Amino acid sequence: MTDALRAEWTKLRTLTGTSWLLLAAVVVTVAASAAIAAATHVSPGGPGGDSQDPTKLALVGVDLGQAVVAVLAVLAISEEYATGMISVSLAAMPRRVVVLAAKAANITALTLIAATLATAGCLISGRLLLPSAGLDQAHGYALVSITHGPTLRAAVGSVLYLGLIALLSLGIATIARDTAVSTGIVLGLLYLPPLLAQLVTGSLRRHLEQIAPMSAGLAIQATRHTKTLPIPPWAGLGVLAAWAAGALLISGTALTIRDA
Amino acid sequence: MTTSVTSSRNGEFLAALRAEWTKFRSVRGWMIALAFAGLMIVLFTYLQANGKHEGYCTTRNPNSCVTGHPFVPSGPGGEAVADTFRFVAHPLIGNGTITARITSLTGRIWAGPANEAPSLADTRPGVTAWAKAGLLLTPSTKQGSAYAAIMATGGHGVRFQEDYTHDQTGLPGPILGAAPRWLRLTRTGGTITGYDSTDGTTWRRIGSAHLSDLPNRVDVGLFATSPVTYGGSATQATANFDHVAVDPGATVGTAPGGWLGQNIGTGLDDFYTTLGTGSDQRSADSFAVTGSGDIAPAVALAGGDTASDSLLFGLVVAVIFLIVIGTMFITTEYRRGLIRTTFAATPNRSSVLAAKVVVVGLGGFAVGAVAAAAAIPLAQHVMKGNGDYLFPAGPFATVRTIAGSGALVALTAIAALGIGTILRRSAGTILLGVVVFVLPTFTGPGIIGPTSSGSVATWLYRVTPAAGFSVLGLLPRSGLVSYPYTMANGYYPLPPWAGLLVLCAYAAVALGVARFLLLRRDA
Amino acid sequence: MSKATIEVAGLRKRFGQTVALDGLTFTTTPGSVTGFVGPNGAGKSTAMRVLLGLDAVEEGTALIGGRPYASLKHPMRHVGSLLDAAALQPSRSGRNHLLWIARSQRLGKQRVDEVIELVGLGKAARRKTGGYSLGMRQRLGIAAAMLGDPPVLLMDEPFNGMDPEGIIWIRSFLRGLAGEGRTVLVSSHLLSELPDVADHVVVIGRGRVLADSTIEELTAGGASLEEVYLRLTTGEVEYRSGGEETWPR
Repeated sequence: MTDALRAEWTKLRTLTGTSWLLLAAVVVTVAASAAIAAATHVSPGGPGGDSQDPTKLALVGVDLGQAVVAVLAVLAISEEYATGMISVSLAAMPRRVVVLAAKAANITALTLIAATLATAGCLISGRLLLPSAGLDQAHGYALVSITHGPTLRAAVGSVLYLGLIALLSLGIATIARDTAVSTGIVLGLLYLPPLLAQLVTGSLRRHLEQIAPMSAGLAIQATRHTKTLPIPPWAGLGVLAAWAAGALLISGTALTIRDA
Repeated sequence: MTTSVTSSRNGEFLAALRAEWTKFRSVRGWMIALAFAGLMIVLFTYLQANGKHEGYCTTRNPNSCVTGHPFVPSGPGGEAVADTFRFVAHPLIGNGTITARITSLTGRIWAGPANEAPSLADTRPGVTAWAKAGLLLTPSTKQGSAYAAIMATGGHGVRFQEDYTHDQTGLPGPILGAAPRWLRLTRTGGTITGYDSTDGTTWRRIGSAHLSDLPNRVDVGLFATSPVTYGGSATQATANFDHVAVDPGATVGTAPGGWLGQNIGTGLDDFYTTLGTGSDQRSADSFAVTGSGDIAPAVALAGGDTASDSLLFGLVVAVIFLIVIGTMFITTEYRRGLIRTTFAATPNRSSVLAAKVVVVGLGGFAVGAVAAAAAIPLAQHVMKGNGDYLFPAGPFATVRTIAGSGALVALTAIAALGIGTILRRSAGTILLGVVVFVLPTFTGPGIIGPTSSGSVATWLYRVTPAAGFSVLGLLPRSGLVSYPYTMANGYYPLPPWAGLLVLCAYAAVALGVARFLLLRRDA
Repeated sequence: MSKATIEVAGLRKRFGQTVALDGLTFTTTPGSVTGFVGPNGAGKSTAMRVLLGLDAVEEGTALIGGRPYASLKHPMRHVGSLLDAAALQPSRSGRNHLLWIARSQRLGKQRVDEVIELVGLGKAARRKTGGYSLGMRQRLGIAAAMLGDPPVLLMDEPFNGMDPEGIIWIRSFLRGLAGEGRTVLVSSHLLSELPDVADHVVVIGRGRVLADSTIEELTAGGASLEEVYLRLTTGEVEYRSGGEETWPR
């Protein structure tokens, strides 16, 4: 296992795209958060004037940054299929599940590091920008602070969320094997259910938001009105974890029984 | 010489086109994905349409809500109209004239909570800008009938209007005691002419209307009506008339007195929200007429659902499919080095790019248009079955939606092809394609963030590729109806063609950069 | 049909700091097979790409039958080429691969079936190319080159991945093409593959011509081809062994 880990780490490290994509994930996440915070103007007493969630708002860049993380994880396996290197990998390490596990461990580790930086950047930008958006103490909103229990949970949860997205993407790409097809499937799976949920009403909408990987997983970011969420924060992250586990399970099986 | 060069160019392009089409159709996965994208459009349109069940409680019928939709009259052109007002009618046989002076126009505006049925118990005084009172000529008092009318309005001066949509401007200014308005309608055969005057002697012609198949006997008379305000409050208007005269007045065979006051379109199932009940009082040649409602095109007040709305999600799904296909159509060639064979076969790289654009564009168009052509009637059928009101879309609007859906899918696929040519990598292209062409459509609350407001959505649907979805806009707008034509109410900020142009611009920029790089780079 | 010659004059091209072509000049004659030989990285593939109008040069001209490739109408009827036999969409069948190329040259399905027979692909042509062996891909690549029945053929490393039977087949096939009066340019990094095939060899290194003569002339002193080759290319390579000829792009 250690050898597999080291081998996969070397591959990932020497893939030129990896460092750029990690950097892009951090930059895109923080920039999107900052841009949305800067564009936000909450008028007190206006519609939704007291129902804002500054922490969730500060972390909104994760919605976009996850796409970069997903692409990073997809490429880690699909490029091997595209270049035919997968045969070399599997020849070098015949226990295929170990290869997958090593890949997953490396990708997750890198993603968690990037996600920690990105989340920290988001919280700082939220702390700096949101007060001028009308979310200040004068209107009953505390500064975004990591010492606040729910905010800490949202921040840690966002990091874990991105890690799980990487695992889900890796699993799907191992099943689909083609870069373009995997990217399309992952992005569709992430972004389409929330849109569909908007267009339907009632219990169907609630169910969708409970089972969709993005909607459920991002429940972890909520710090206010958590009682009215379709799914509680940790349970939501659990749903995403189930998606990731399912994808990895199927991909591990597929990798074992299919020809390389 | 020039022509032979041109024809050889054309020949080369056609050959490249056939080659690219052969490439495209010979990868079975792409064809299956294309068909699947079409199926997704139909499937999700069905699901979305089926999710809409409508029931209603009209203002006059607050305690017995029923399933189905309220009644919306159809105008002479088949369009949805509001036709609700108080009418004090007098018969007119053959040619003739009705004249009156309007001395005041006052009103009440509902001031209670929005979710309660409006009643006169809680109102404030005020006249809404499109409150109307004046003279009206119509062959029938059935809702949706043809008509011509000259009227004073709360804030738009004197107007001559016919058949709900046609409008001509007369004297400006409000009706005050010091500034009464004289109004006159004259019928000559099928032509109705409206006049206004400040003194009853000097008449000015405002406009004429030609009502076809007008019977010999028509109704003329005084009317008053007052529409829902921009903010959604029901209103009522009262107008005082004097010097009322119908010429020829005494007609054989009419009811004694000649005048008959009646409410038009205030039945329990009419969609229009009214305040109070219409009434009139007569003393000699003076009348006070009170009414509520509107005589105008129906906008989303009649219900915001159209069959094309249900296309939205399916189209987004199809767009993602086509982004993947459009990307792969070029990036797989770079990935495999096949692009060199392509350029060895067709050294003119612009021709290759153009051929790819045509193939992917036609593929996308076919999928979008065929699926929309199947999905729209299906959605209409389902929604009718569910009791939804569907705005009557003319054949032109339906064709426009179908062709627009095709164009939307095609342009996105073409843009993906362009980005793929620029980046030469699948993952980056699809990432960029989805972020730029799909995510801006998700501007509802809870997606971009809790702050996503109507204004953000409006902005995104103006300047991002999401503008392309304007082709789904079918709800009518009218300058004669004061109504918030916002996204929240189902209106896209751009007209269909303008939205498509915005999407076109994105595709054109992607293609322009792609062509520039393609010609400059080594293959 | 235009004169079937390849004329390369003063080609210069660099990729960043690396000089790929350094005044490369040579000419081929119809009715003969010209071997285009040099170590990995000598510029053979680049020169072929320049000939096909795929890569641009800073200086020099590369003409086929007196005209630049890009100006040819239906170029594959003038020049058939095999650059990289692996350049295939794996989910497309071999026959459809040939068909799209045929369409671009305004050739019919009949010609596609003819070249499939010519290279002996047979029934395999209906299968997806993803499942092809290296040898089958080479045959498919040669079939594509033969589609337009061209007077000039460019083959980049056609022996790669061929089994001995396949190598013998290609050799006789190329000889036959020259016998029909065509011009054939065959690149190889192994001079030893060529003596039975080529009438003439152009040896290049670091983008320059090192030798341009017949095989007989090269081995006139009694030396073996390998010795001649090593003597010529000493100092002209960046490394002595390694993988494929690749350039950063």
